[in-house]
Amino acid sequence: MTRQILIVEDEEHLARGLKFNLEAEGYKTQVAGDGEMALDLLLQKRAEYDLLVLDVMLPGKDGFTVAAELRKANHFIPLLMLTARGHPEDVLKGFEAGADDYLSKPFDLNILLARIRSLLRRREWSRALVTNPPNASRVAESKSADSLREFDVYSFAGKQVDFGTLELSANGRVFRLTLMEAELLRHLISNSGKIVSRKQILEEVWGLHEDTDTRAIDNFIVRLRKYIEGDPSQPQHLLTVRGIGYRFLPKPEGQK
Amino acid sequence: MRITSRKKTIAFAVTLGVLVAAVALVLNISWIVLNWREVVPLILGVIFFGFIIAGVILNTIFLVREVRRNEQQDSFLNAVTHELKTPITSIRLYLETLQQREVGEAQRREFYQVMLEDTHRLMGTVEQVLRAARVVQKNAALNKSEIDMGPLVQDAVELARTRHHLPSDAIAWDLDGKTAERICVAGDREELSAVLSNVLDNAVKYSPKDAHIRVEVITPDLKRVQIKVQDNGIGIPGGELKRVFKRFYRVLTPGSTQVKGSGLGLFIVRAITRRHGGEAYVESEGTGKGTTVTIELPRYQQ
Repeated sequence: MTRQILIVEDEEHLARGLKFNLEAEGYKTQVAGDGEMALDLLLQKRAEYDLLVLDVMLPGKDGFTVAAELRKANHFIPLLMLTARGHPEDVLKGFEAGADDYLSKPFDLNILLARIRSLLRRREWSRALVTNPPNASRVAESKSADSLREFDVYSFAGKQVDFGTLELSANGRVFRLTLMEAELLRHLISNSGKIVSRKQILEEVWGLHEDTDTRAIDNFIVRLRKYIEGDPSQPQHLLTVRGIGYRFLPKPEGQK
Repeated sequence: MRITSRKKTIAFAVTLGVLVAAVALVLNISWIVLNWREVVPLILGVIFFGFIIAGVILNTIFLVREVRRNEQQDSFLNAVTHELKTPITSIRLYLETLQQREVGEAQRREFYQVMLEDTHRLMGTVEQVLRAARVVQKNAALNKSEIDMGPLVQDAVELARTRHHLPSDAIAWDLDGKTAERICVAGDREELSAVLSNVLDNAVKYSPKDAHIRVEVITPDLKRVQIKVQDNGIGIPGGELKRVFKRFYRVLTPGSTQVKGSGLGLFIVRAITRRHGGEAYVESEGTGKGTTVTIELPRYQQ
């Protein structure tokens, strides 16, 4: 099956070069010149694409806004962000807006293609998992938190996280996690009960340099709390350790 | 995030300045009250406190200005980074494509053309930055010669048309009905071309897709030549008209933030025009009502 990729890039030369290369790889592509057009295609016209390559500096709505609006509208297309801004703050801002991967310009063609392949692969895996739902034994096996592997399902306090499909079922609802959210949650769960520092999260989970503004992490925690906590202002599972970082508890304290 | 922290810095500096000035004022008044009988210490004291208060106010003003300037410099760096990285990214992408893939002959030629255009764009950005640095050097020499403004303006218009892929009626131009007459200026051809291309680029950039730009060369009297470039673009709010000539300054209105720019264009325009003994003006009825830029130069007399 031919994969369809939407390229959102206002620089005509780059758009043409990307299109040529992606088509040479056997993908079908379409170019949108600005964010409004991309949002219109994806949200209004409900056009089917397998991947979105999104530039940040666009006329009108910028890439961050486009990504955020897509995610807000519950559109979970794999999203690769491309930008000339390579500062750690910008990278984090991109992920916060809902990007799945981030590449700064100028990029290496082969790396771009590899990242696109890996994002598409993940989409295929999660589709395969939806059609062949994980069997009960897989859930049972994954109960021990230290051996949490990439596609495992983890259950705690009546909630279930499936790291293969990036789905989180809690309080009778199913949430789709972005890759960044899932990675953060996995790291916290793998270290259940232990304190994980903000610096550790930046370096080990997201591979970012430590001089990044660590408050960006807080926004992710706020979002995760909305998913799993009954009352996000009184967290039971995702606890803040003041001045250091965070701690994940499978069972609320005092209930042991 | 950065902008809000700047605003906080400014608010803090202003508050501190006002507080210190107020304390100095209170001290001054107490001095007057305590020493009102003795004339010499009274006068000396009032002068002394006056100096302190003036100093505090000046200091605050400079501090706030410095913070603002930093902010503009930041946005300039961002813009230039983008302007430099985009063509480099494109050239690299095409080179890697040519290196790794089988590309047909026609396609290959097209790629070469794209890369050439990118190098021109890169060169344009580099020249703009270098020119902005050069025009502030007082002793940099102008390579002056006698220039007929008619053909110079015509060339600039043609260049802008091709560069922005505009239809021929997008830029109308008028030579004050005196096509035969030579309207000459003593100036540096390259620098004056840069002035015209900057003004025309702005007119195109800040106009809607169907731009209507009018270029006029006028001779109001025997001593002056005026080049007027009028567009139907997004215009400039009244309060910003004076600032647009400042280095790195960019008007922040909803329409203008979508346009990419370094904040150097009009700075270069005014600096070069002044070095030629002329002046640059900008007029606009307000947001959405178009802009007129006027370049006035002394006319060269034989």
